[in-house]
Amino acid sequence: MNVLLSIAPIFRGRGLATVGMCWLLVVGIAAIGAPLLAPFDPLEFDPFIRLSEPGWPHLFGTDHFGRDSLSRAIYGARMAILIGSGSVLIALVAGGLIGMLSAYFVRLGHLLMRIVDVLMAFPALLLALVLMTLLERSVLNTVIVIGIVYATTTARIVFGMTLKLKRDVFVDAAICSGAGNTSILFRHILPNLMSPMLVQASFIFAFAQLQAAALDFLGLGLPPEVPSWGNMLSEERVYVTRAPWLLIFPGALIILSVFSMNLVGDALRDNIDPRFKDDIAGV
Amino acid sequence: MALLDIRDLDLSIARGSELLPVVQGVSLTVEEDESLGIVGESGCGKSLTALAIMGLLEGSAVRIAGGSMHFQGQDLLALSPGERRRMMGDQMAMIFQEPMTSLNPVYRVGDQIMEAIIQHRGMSRKRARERALDLLDLVRIPDPIRRIDSFPHQMSGGQRQRVMIAMALACDPKLLIADEPTTALDVTVQKDVLELMLGLQRRTGMSIVLISHDLGVIAETCDKVAVMYRGRIVEQASTSELLSNMSHPYTLGLLGSIPALDHDVEWLDAIPGRVPTLDEVVPGCAFHPRCFAAEGSCRTVDPVAAAISPAHFVRCHFPQGSTT
Repeated sequence: MNVLLSIAPIFRGRGLATVGMCWLLVVGIAAIGAPLLAPFDPLEFDPFIRLSEPGWPHLFGTDHFGRDSLSRAIYGARMAILIGSGSVLIALVAGGLIGMLSAYFVRLGHLLMRIVDVLMAFPALLLALVLMTLLERSVLNTVIVIGIVYATTTARIVFGMTLKLKRDVFVDAAICSGAGNTSILFRHILPNLMSPMLVQASFIFAFAQLQAAALDFLGLGLPPEVPSWGNMLSEERVYVTRAPWLLIFPGALIILSVFSMNLVGDALRDNIDPRFKDDIAGV
Repeated sequence: MALLDIRDLDLSIARGSELLPVVQGVSLTVEEDESLGIVGESGCGKSLTALAIMGLLEGSAVRIAGGSMHFQGQDLLALSPGERRRMMGDQMAMIFQEPMTSLNPVYRVGDQIMEAIIQHRGMSRKRARERALDLLDLVRIPDPIRRIDSFPHQMSGGQRQRVMIAMALACDPKLLIADEPTTALDVTVQKDVLELMLGLQRRTGMSIVLISHDLGVIAETCDKVAVMYRGRIVEQASTSELLSNMSHPYTLGLLGSIPALDHDVEWLDAIPGRVPTLDEVVPGCAFHPRCFAAEGSCRTVDPVAAAISPAHFVRCHFPQGSTT
């Protein structure tokens, strides 16, 4: 509850971002409560009702195996959150470490940042495609690949900020009171990177959705039986004229979620001023 | 044995393949319970000398090109990083010029003071916090119990500089280096902070190296003075000797540019010109283009430091002596 209260002022006077946050909460609740909320088993085939129109009891209609679209969409929220948070975690930890170490240890930085530069020379989707073709289709691999793709941009951002921070006087002051490299990096520099990294996380979360959907659509992402919004688009794309609702619903879910995440990210970005941060911490 | 003994320190800045000297042949000694003031205009090498003593030049373009530095008999240039870390904050500490940026913005000030105490003294958090409260009280922060949990941006510049002093004093260092500690503060706050530092010095018996561009500040606070110009010490003496027998034209110029408080001065005697840039080659004495006493030999021959009285050294062909 405290957490909710402390982020509330970020949304003050930002109607659209509030709506976005609410939508993300809905997605979150759907993900957590999927087994309770889903009216049908998302994997159960029923050939007699394939491609039925939206209506009762199949609110979103059924796909070409007769699976309930709404149930698959609800379970898809699970995948969306899993892929989003998994890639954010990998991107921030790997990218953050690479960026910080590269900026702090100049020689190491020459090596690591050139590797990052090479990886960044590829368009994000192409890089993800190349990496996915080398790996098996699985949830974990998808998360890892998307995480690596966004670790490069995170590393770049963190690299730049650490270069500036390590020249700040408070770092010199820390050295003067006897702090070692580890202490300076993780106790003095890292906390100053937290708010921009939080903003970065929100955008990675959003882009990871698009990236995962694109990989699914191209048949290189999650295994086809896994109910995800991207897989729903991919599997039903041939029925776009006969049963357009099978694409409209998951497509709309992806768009809404990415848009909401971007709105929330913008609101966060506008609030990274540390003075404001203290106000909301209740000091 | 002097607490701090610097001999012929040379610092150079690497630009491309060439090395430009920024500090040349600086020799300084600081005894225990003594305060040394280093004075000079911007860019004359005062701060770089301080950074060299604290070992903060690593990773910058400036390197130590020659000379020696001993602290309590230990060769500072031969210390391993670990030994250096154990010394920093414990036996020597530094206060910086910018109180606005020298505290980490994301930590409460109490935690920043406690860090060094916990590291060097191995105290528990609870006892370190008590010590931090004492220190805040010592540097005269009002209501320390409330302020210990403040963030730096919730404090004024003067208060932050007091917190910096508290941080520096956390482990009772033997040597405190203060690089323009009052330059960024209001004049009234300046006076408070200087008096505070002096009082603490008298009480704890530590030594202070005070760096300033204000000869007035140095004269009021320090036992002895070194005047630097363009990377060199041009005059060095005890404060009383220097004030009664100011000899280098540059020192006289610095004195002339202090506004007097007791009577109105229409026009301050500023030193004409500016400090030559690093890549400008000035033949002879580096100060001659700006010097009122310069004559022929000043333009060709670089003067050497000469004692005009015991423990009063001047680097000038024509020391003004007691003519002032």
